[in-house]
Amino acid sequence: MTSPAQSFPYVPRDPSLENAGLAPMLPLTLTGDRSVATSGLVDSGATVNILPYAVEVQLGLDWDQQTRSVELSGNLASVEARVVVLSAVVGSFPPVRLAFAWARTDAVPVILGQVNFFLGFDVCFFRSRGLFEVRPKS
Amino acid sequence: MSLAEVLPEVQSLSRLDKIRLIQIVAQELEREESELIEPNRSYPVWSPDRAFTAAGSLLEALEDEKGR
Repeated sequence: MTSPAQSFPYVPRDPSLENAGLAPMLPLTLTGDRSVATSGLVDSGATVNILPYAVEVQLGLDWDQQTRSVELSGNLASVEARVVVLSAVVGSFPPVRLAFAWARTDAVPVILGQVNFFLGFDVCFFRSRGLFEVRPKS
Repeated sequence: MSLAEVLPEVQSLSRLDKIRLIQIVAQELEREESELIEPNRSYPVWSPDRAFTAAGSLLEALEDEKGR
């Protein structure tokens, strides 16, 4: 059975840009040793999910215990990153496992990219209406 | 002010003023669009858009977890 989609608003990231500064930020709760409520940029152009360094520290994870390193690209090409797999709750949907490249920088938002956020969720963007819809894959 | 309120007045304009109005509106639209991206300002794009090896590593981590 297909779950009904849930709508989320675009939110201001740069108020000085007014309408052009809105972005699809998806509220979600991540769970490691502890749970953290955050929001992630839904970015269909990103190959992978990204977590900034501070969020993982809030989750109680230890950088040195994550042994699998990954190389990123784009603005993050020079940033060291390691793989972590976390439980994530999006809206009122059941929890899913999301794999993240944990970047050793805080100059980046949580990014929800193709692997594996878009592998688990269908997303429709309605930019002119300032909202986007998300549902688990059917 | 809505389009419905303005339209009767626009329709009452002379042909020449209607053409002038088209030019003014077109210039206004062009100016607004050019202001969307301002010069000398930083617009970070964080998307790791070709991190295919990293994507493979994340998928492996998920598979490893399933196998446990």
